Amino acid sequence: MLLFIVRRLISAFLVMFSISVVVFLIFFATPGVNPAARIAGRSASPEVLAHVAAEFGLNRPLPIRYGLMMWHLLFQQDLTSYVNIGVKVIPQITGAAPITLSLIVGAAVLWLLAGVAGGLVAAANRGKWIDPLIMFGGIAAVSIPAYWLGEVVNLVTQNKFHSLFSWLPAPGYVSITQSPWQWALHLIFPWITLATLYAGVYARVLRAELVNALNEDYVRTARAKGLSERRILVKHALRCSLVAIVSLFGLDFGSLVGGAALLTEVVFGLNGIGMLTYNSLLNLDLPVIMGCVMYGAFFIVLASAVVDVLYAFLDPRVRSVH
Amino acid sequence: MSDEVLLRATDVVKSFPIRGGKLGTKKVATAVNGVSLDIFKGETLGIVGESGCGKSTLARCLVQLMPVTSGTVSFKGEVLTGRSRRQLRDTRRDMQLVFQDPYASLNPRRTVGDIVADPMRINKMGTDAVINARVADLFKTVGLDPSYVQRYPHEFSGGQRQRVGIARALSLNPSLVVADEPVSALDVSVQAQVLNLMSDLQDEFGLTYLFIAHDLGVVRHVSDRVGVMYLGQLVELADADALYDEPLHPYTNALLSAVPQLNDGTEVPRERIVLSGDVPDPADRPSGCPFNPRCPSATDQCRTEVPVLLEIRPKRFVACHHPLTF
Amino acid sequence: MSTNEHAAPVLELTDLSVSFSTRQGLIRAVDGLSLSVGRGEVHGIVGESGSGKSVAMYSLLGLTRDANASITGSVRFEGREILGSGDKAMQPIRGGEIGMIFQDPMTALTPVYTVGWQIVEQIRQHTDLTKAQAKARAIELLGEVGIPDAKRRVDSYPHEFSGGMRQRVVIAMAMSCNPKLLIADEPTTALDVTTQAQILDLMSRLRDVHNSSIVIITHDMGVIAEMADRVTVMYAGRPIEAGPELDVVRHPRHPYTWGLLGAVPRIGERSERLATIAGNVMSPLDVPVGCAFAPRCAYVMDECAARPPWSDGDHRSACWLSDTQRVALRRKES
Repeated sequence: MLLFIVRRLISAFLVMFSISVVVFLIFFATPGVNPAARIAGRSASPEVLAHVAAEFGLNRPLPIRYGLMMWHLLFQQDLTSYVNIGVKVIPQITGAAPITLSLIVGAAVLWLLAGVAGGLVAAANRGKWIDPLIMFGGIAAVSIPAYWLGEVVNLVTQNKFHSLFSWLPAPGYVSITQSPWQWALHLIFPWITLATLYAGVYARVLRAELVNALNEDYVRTARAKGLSERRILVKHALRCSLVAIVSLFGLDFGSLVGGAALLTEVVFGLNGIGMLTYNSLLNLDLPVIMGCVMYGAFFIVLASAVVDVLYAFLDPRVRSVH
Repeated sequence: MSDEVLLRATDVVKSFPIRGGKLGTKKVATAVNGVSLDIFKGETLGIVGESGCGKSTLARCLVQLMPVTSGTVSFKGEVLTGRSRRQLRDTRRDMQLVFQDPYASLNPRRTVGDIVADPMRINKMGTDAVINARVADLFKTVGLDPSYVQRYPHEFSGGQRQRVGIARALSLNPSLVVADEPVSALDVSVQAQVLNLMSDLQDEFGLTYLFIAHDLGVVRHVSDRVGVMYLGQLVELADADALYDEPLHPYTNALLSAVPQLNDGTEVPRERIVLSGDVPDPADRPSGCPFNPRCPSATDQCRTEVPVLLEIRPKRFVACHHPLTF
Repeated sequence: MSTNEHAAPVLELTDLSVSFSTRQGLIRAVDGLSLSVGRGEVHGIVGESGSGKSVAMYSLLGLTRDANASITGSVRFEGREILGSGDKAMQPIRGGEIGMIFQDPMTALTPVYTVGWQIVEQIRQHTDLTKAQAKARAIELLGEVGIPDAKRRVDSYPHEFSGGMRQRVVIAMAMSCNPKLLIADEPTTALDVTTQAQILDLMSRLRDVHNSSIVIITHDMGVIAEMADRVTVMYAGRPIEAGPELDVVRHPRHPYTWGLLGAVPRIGERSERLATIAGNVMSPLDVPVGCAFAPRCAYVMDECAARPPWSDGDHRSACWLSDTQRVALRRKES
């Protein structure tokens, strides 16, 4: 177990290091990027530019610049934006992260419930009308663009049928510490929107896994034991199919928390990590980009480590290898 | 069968590093543990043993599909072990393999004609016309209709596919054919056809066979001499009739007694010896004789001292401190 | 019934047929199988792949889940007709009164649960035992099938056992509710010969102790000779010969049985050439209307275009050869 953790930590460090280097290099290799000009303003004189470059260490060799940036980001934690002078990066991220986390965790609960239920019902009713219906619903849900669904939801709840949804507050975010009820109320439709997209995929993947599992020899054994179809489906087939769902979930959850829910955030006016990353990219604001990327990479690495631990928990064969 | 040695293995060892154990400790599984044997020109040497005894690994080491960990293998008097792939090329043509699973060992995307022709094309054995004529010949030899050359493996039954596999192996006129469980995936009636075919081909082309199988009846049927393997070691080696009629190693005896007999009056019933337990883990070999934990006649000597394969009677080799007597 | 003339059979199949409608046409996987298994009797069903021997047994328990399957005939278990009963009615019978042992012990157990959990699950499905009682019973069963240190091994996962040990677990599970009938589908095919000997030994011992009836499905005539009191030989879904084991092995009547017996290489003697059956196992779509074996039979006659009747008596066969023809042919061969 110790070996496992150490290995994981080393690989996490390597992943984050290489991502940060790549981002850093891409940034400086991008034509037209001159951080000094960004900081100093459009019409700054060459003297001012040189002064700014010296002050921010931008005239030093690349490896040193990289080292300085990471030092300020991770250890001093006082890295500041190139665009909004004096605004520190870390507080921006810690301010945006809870919003994204709230959105993703809530949506994840919904899509897991809906996806697993859909997959189970479809697999249990193979060959009946409900199976293709659920599978069609799944593919339809996957195909809907997030912003479109979000806009339609907004249109319906905030505009066309606002009288029906009068209980619903205007788009935005309220912290859970402030008011759990308002928090949930603000997020309920973002949750549903995001969950719809993912529930379809999960239902389809789970159905395929279940159908495979139901053809396995151990299911035949379970039937020969005289178990009910329901018990076979849940206790044997579903239990053995969870590994696939868990690995899918780990990837999705990691990337969403890392900022991949941008469209949903934009539509519902949530100032989460996705928005922060997007804005910093528009402004070519390297320190913020770097901060967001490191934060996102951290969650992806963390999620894959959790998935590995869950594997061992779900499958005793994996356990005995570690 | 002659006295001319075609292939000689001396103290061949093959081990694999395996994962596991405590932090940082590397374990080693020894699949083949010091096997020495000769294969004479024109004979069929059968190697029999249960799954995991190392018989397939041994076969792969002998034909240099796998590098040996130690020991030497020589073929027609030339040492093969330690040579590069390039240096082995000519020898490779002379040693061909027939595999167990006729479903997995033929490329599903190529026609069976191409499968048989490919080795000849790679070795530039002549023009397309010459090669095609030879493919048609080979098809007839193994009992397939030459008009089938354009078909794909999935259009054939298991027995027919194994015939394709045999035709491929024969395409380069090898002197040694190594057959690794060639009939174990086939139904009994088809198995008999393939075994008869192999024996006809041996007579026709003077082939030498190394025949690996777990089925004792099949091995007796095809082999002139038989070697019995247990946990990577050759425990007994003798002429087939002698070995089956009078097994000297207690493991051979138990193995033979375990085969269900038809009891139709043609065979002498054997007394059943049911061994207890399982074959030990090759990564955790018992000290002394590998068979001692399950052997009904094990003594303290067997638990400490590894028996070596000795010729205790003319042409009868056995690795046992207390061979059975008849 | 030769062995148990007075007792009612535990299992009686009458004209069992199973067919699957596929895109290529109708596949008659089992075509008119009749047999009866007495109490404490071991009935062997032998045949090559595609002979329908496994399908027949799975169908009678309702384990064939294919929606395109159609099953007809009669299956009487302990005098009750069970064919066509729904899952609800079959559940107490499956695992409770009829136990099953499968071919591949490596895949027959659910990989994520301990073997104890899986045995307990079955016991609790069919009895009112508490968890603790069921676990105690599981340990007892594992001990009975020869798993050393059963008390500790009950908490091991399937992958921690060797193939032979896993098959013992499967047998312990099948025996857990004291079934009246055990159906074993190629129980030793995936095992090594010394392990096979252990398992056959175990099954015979359990049969003696519990007096349960066994149907054993195999392609290996040796296993039949070892285990079975009676045997049914199947070819292309049809029974072609049936009778007491010794009669069938020593005086086979059907040319297919001759071939099957002659094709097995023996360990006791070395024959120059094996008897073979020409051709290949046929596609289930090409089974002729007449005798199914006719296309591969060396003694095919005009009569074979019609399906041969199932003869009467204790040793039955379906072949147009008359007894005199048969004797003459056998004498000429040897």
